[in-house]
Amino acid sequence: MMLTVVGFLVRAMVVLTGTALLTFALLWNAPGDPAQAIAIARFNAVPTQDVIDQVRAEAGLNASFWAAFLNWIGPLLLFDFGNSSVTGRPVGPDLWVAATYSFPLAITALAIGLAISLPLAILATRRPGGFMDRFAVAIASLGTAIPAFWLGLLLILLFAVQLAWLPAMGARTPTHAVLPALTLGLGIAASLTRIIRSGILEAWEQPFLAAFRHRGVSDRAIGRDHIGPHAAVPVVTVFGLELAFLLEGVVVVEVIFGRPGLGSFLTSAILARDFPHVQAVVLLTALVFVVVNLIIDVVYRVLDPRIGEPDA
Amino acid sequence: MTLSAIGLSAMRSGRIILHPTSVEIEPGARIGLVGASGSGKSTLGHALIDALKAQGLQVAHVPQSPDEALDPLRSLAFHWHEAAQARGLADGAAHQRAIFSALKIDGGDLRKRPWGWSRGMQQRFVIAMALMGTPDLIVLDEPTSALDPVIAAATMNLLDRHLERTNTAMVLITHDLGLAARRVSHLMVMAAGRLVEEAETGKILNNPQTSEAKRLAAHRNWMEVPC
Repeated sequence: MMLTVVGFLVRAMVVLTGTALLTFALLWNAPGDPAQAIAIARFNAVPTQDVIDQVRAEAGLNASFWAAFLNWIGPLLLFDFGNSSVTGRPVGPDLWVAATYSFPLAITALAIGLAISLPLAILATRRPGGFMDRFAVAIASLGTAIPAFWLGLLLILLFAVQLAWLPAMGARTPTHAVLPALTLGLGIAASLTRIIRSGILEAWEQPFLAAFRHRGVSDRAIGRDHIGPHAAVPVVTVFGLELAFLLEGVVVVEVIFGRPGLGSFLTSAILARDFPHVQAVVLLTALVFVVVNLIIDVVYRVLDPRIGEPDA
Repeated sequence: MTLSAIGLSAMRSGRIILHPTSVEIEPGARIGLVGASGSGKSTLGHALIDALKAQGLQVAHVPQSPDEALDPLRSLAFHWHEAAQARGLADGAAHQRAIFSALKIDGGDLRKRPWGWSRGMQQRFVIAMALMGTPDLIVLDEPTSALDPVIAAATMNLLDRHLERTNTAMVLITHDLGLAARRVSHLMVMAAGRLVEEAETGKILNNPQTSEAKRLAAHRNWMEVPC
């Protein structure tokens, strides 16, 4: 147990350090002069060479790559994300504000995805190959094929422009979150439906089910107590991959709907070459990934303790 | 009461795999259902179970391997409780203890999942579940072929004694005539979906009438195996 915890921490450190180094190297070597981009973002005007040189010195861009990298990662070990190159303000609080927009959105989208996909998949697998099943598969394929940016625009056209039920842009009230959450949630519902459906169908092929029917256990109880757990194992595994889709979706959807979350935070930081901002978002994302994968690991060890047993 | 099922038959993809067959079983009888692979033993076994259940009788079935009877994700206690509920029995602890000690699995930890027990123990647990509530008939489909001979023999001995005590009838489906010879009083020989010969065990072994029974009885070396 102790070994598992230490192993996990070591792995997490390797992933996070690698992510930090890679993003820093990519930004550092991106074409164009970062000092110029920062100066433009800071003064909102075309800067003179003097100003650019001054910004370069302030942002620490004169140093060598390794010196700059260590200069940034040193304070980070004490949870200090540094100051924005553009505004000069500390990154931490701004990052937190952006996260309070993005995480609720992501969680709502996940909830919407589950609320649609779970009943749909259960209905579909009642009669495999039947009408409901084919309907669910068709809807799911369609949903996976439609990109979030297009679905988002369609929803804006329908609910904000035509019907005028919901606001399209911004994030002032909770109703502003409905369309973005729906855009993300429908995409997630589509892929989850496929995964849950195949998980359930696979579970029905377990060799022991006939014996349970013989014993007089009702189909309802078999579904709840035996199919459910067996179907959950692959679903939980794929859930981690779903998260990647979700993070990518959050960036796209926030830009479309003009929400000031992590996605908007990241895109404007990239355009301004605001190294500390970009790094902070990427590291936070990597951290979420690591933590979610840890949770998934734990969950399926609970579901199926044979996983991870040395001799099962 | 004699258990009887008349005109059992079965078809699969338009082919008759079990020709109409009638079976009568005395209370407490031990019947062996033998024949080559694909002769229709298991099919007759299932048809018999369905027919007797339709008459409102309690019939239990023990499949070949515990993998076909137990959910690896659920504890053994869950299995027991679920089966008791499905049969409408109260979770009788005394009844459970009696069956468990008869099969010598009372030392096992029921909180474990099936794979936490050895295969022999798992199979005994499956048999114990089948004996729950004292059924009118227990059908065992190659119950020991997944076990090693010593454990198989011990399991069959324990089962034998328990069935004797409760006067429960048994149908043993097997291709292993050695096992059948030791455990049953009557043999039914199947071939190509038909019941071709039916007599006392000794008669079939020593004086087989049909070619199928002769072929089975010709292999005498099985008698040396402990089970």
